[in-house]
Amino acid sequence: MSASTRMSSRLAGWLPRIVVAPSLLVVIVTVYLFILWTGVISVTSSKFVPTYDFVGLEQYVRLWATPRWHTAVANLFIFSALFLALSTGLGLLMAILLDQNIRAEGALRAIYLYPMALSFIVTGTAWKWIMNPGLGVQKVVNDLGWTDFRFDWITNPDTAIYTVVVAGVWQSSGFAMAIFLAGLRGIDNSVIKAAQIEGASLPLIYRQIIIPMLRPAMLSVIVLLSYIAIKSFDLVLALTNGGPGTATELPSTFMFSATFRRNQMGVGAASAVMMLMTVAAIIVPYLYSELRSENNG
Amino acid sequence: MSRFIATALAATMLVPVAAHAEGQIEVLHHWVSQSEVDALNVIRKELEAKGFEWKDSAVGGMSGANAQQALRSRLTAGNPPGAMQFLGWEGVQWAEQGVVRDLNDLATAGGWREALAPQLLPFVTSGEAFIAAPINMHRQNWVWANRKLFDDAGVAVPKTWAELIETGKTLKEKGIVPVAMGDEPWQIGIIFDALLSDINGPEFYQKTAIDLDPEALGSPEMVKVFDMLREVRGLVDDNFVGRDWAVATGMVINGEAAMQFMGDWAKGEFLAKGLKPNQDFYCFATPGAVTSFQYLIDSFGMFTVSDETVQKAQVALAETIMDPKVQKGFNLIKGSIPARNDVSVDDFDDCAKLGYQERAAAIEKGSMQGAITHGFAAKPEFASVFSDVAAQFFVGKMSSEDAVKMLVSGIDNAR
Repeated sequence: MSASTRMSSRLAGWLPRIVVAPSLLVVIVTVYLFILWTGVISVTSSKFVPTYDFVGLEQYVRLWATPRWHTAVANLFIFSALFLALSTGLGLLMAILLDQNIRAEGALRAIYLYPMALSFIVTGTAWKWIMNPGLGVQKVVNDLGWTDFRFDWITNPDTAIYTVVVAGVWQSSGFAMAIFLAGLRGIDNSVIKAAQIEGASLPLIYRQIIIPMLRPAMLSVIVLLSYIAIKSFDLVLALTNGGPGTATELPSTFMFSATFRRNQMGVGAASAVMMLMTVAAIIVPYLYSELRSENNG
Repeated sequence: MSRFIATALAATMLVPVAAHAEGQIEVLHHWVSQSEVDALNVIRKELEAKGFEWKDSAVGGMSGANAQQALRSRLTAGNPPGAMQFLGWEGVQWAEQGVVRDLNDLATAGGWREALAPQLLPFVTSGEAFIAAPINMHRQNWVWANRKLFDDAGVAVPKTWAELIETGKTLKEKGIVPVAMGDEPWQIGIIFDALLSDINGPEFYQKTAIDLDPEALGSPEMVKVFDMLREVRGLVDDNFVGRDWAVATGMVINGEAAMQFMGDWAKGEFLAKGLKPNQDFYCFATPGAVTSFQYLIDSFGMFTVSDETVQKAQVALAETIMDPKVQKGFNLIKGSIPARNDVSVDDFDDCAKLGYQERAAAIEKGSMQGAITHGFAAKPEFASVFSDVAAQFFVGKMSSEDAVKMLVSGIDNAR
């Protein structure tokens, strides 16, 4: 009896490790090993196929001397900042409005969340037509009689990046809303009641009590949305295909074309490493501060 | 998403297949549209008549970039396909890696080098080795025009770029879009390539697009090219963003637009609507003092494999592709002209006949040159600089001088 019990208790101790081991191995190989490999490629002269001759930071110098890369980096910051701010802001606003015990909340929630069910390819293609001045919004309004109305951002290299923001926000703000809504439902009603008894107005309650209590939800939203922003390769591809010209190039589209279409694998790897460092520079301190304050709190 | 499909396809293709009695060859290519598949079937049937089986591995999308990725993973896994479709420098670059089979014996016995224009040889040979069998030749610098619109406006086929711009302005005053196109860099590149040679002559094209001579790249002649490109922009409507080339061709067919600059794959759209060359639509080369013929070819290279039945099938496939009869049958369907110079095009349409004649003249005058935009001039890392600069210039407000500076520094940076 005792032998079999010992056996099963030993198995129970090992089981989690055995179960986790394969997936851990896969993650180590497919994520960290390839990050390392990309780093190695970025300091070689690799062009068409990988070669392993060390050339130092030459590919990084080349990368930063490429005007298209500057466009891509500037676009990433414009896009990410606006996308994060607008998606989070709109998501929070929608969640608060939905949380007022309104009728048909379930239906409205589904409607707002629905864009998230579409792939970026579909969103991009649909918005490409909606924002084309000859087919979409501008044409409809012009045909209605307002002939001076202009909505041709997508044709202008200076404004085209904002069309990507519009499409991205449309798709993702419902998602942010869902997370905030879940967060709001998790807040104890007695806190709000107590504040009301103290005579606090509703906006004040939201500003001072509820929104600060949504911090964990805010963390999830920001981390998930920044990850969507960084990888928004397919949205750009479908919406503008990097155009007009190269005006809406993002680091991800730059990396893909350098590596796979332009024989510049070294430059592509260097740009991938730059992307990784950018993400790390933003996410790591944020995660650190959030997790630390959680421990303290 | 398409990358995922490519990877998935590459993964499924790793499964070994049972050898066919006579020998089977797997052909990796990126032709998936109906006319392309029909054209390939000409090769396939002839190969089957010789007793070899064609195993189709089509990886479409991204103008062949997906198929290239599939090939990379296959080669890395040590399991290359028997044959692969090559565009531009791909074949030569793989040959430099030592993975492509040398077909020199076949080429010498079959007189392939003599049957091809000398300008093609850099793309199908590597040193002494003959590495790829070219099946077809497209011309990139065509203008497709709606004849009725030209007649109604009382304009003729332009003989110079200045005339073309004037013609465009006349048409624009009548409310017609003079030039239909999209904002994709390669569509803009087609016009840029043509202007390089048409305005400054084929020697200038050689010096800039092929030799990458810094002096020629930064010369006042280059400024003229961008000036003319700016004039062309004035003939394009503002809704050109995101427009597919075939949609633009449709605008010319419907009479919404008068002209399109596009390779001869656009011809199929006209013919499919039952329109006749010279009666319903015009096809003419981009105008220049010396008419240029900017080509691109599709060729098939064979990889070094150990399986002897596959080796035999490779020989049979290469011979089939270079068979004049097959080249004729293939190109009648594909809309291009045979890569071989010695195949008669009597049964072809008028546009193909014109292209064939102009090719012969261009070979003599030295104005038959590879198209940069499709990867048949400078290597991709340089070709992409041309297309980046031309595209940014075209859609924005950059001055011609700034564009030239950007071109020179961009080429230097890619060296």
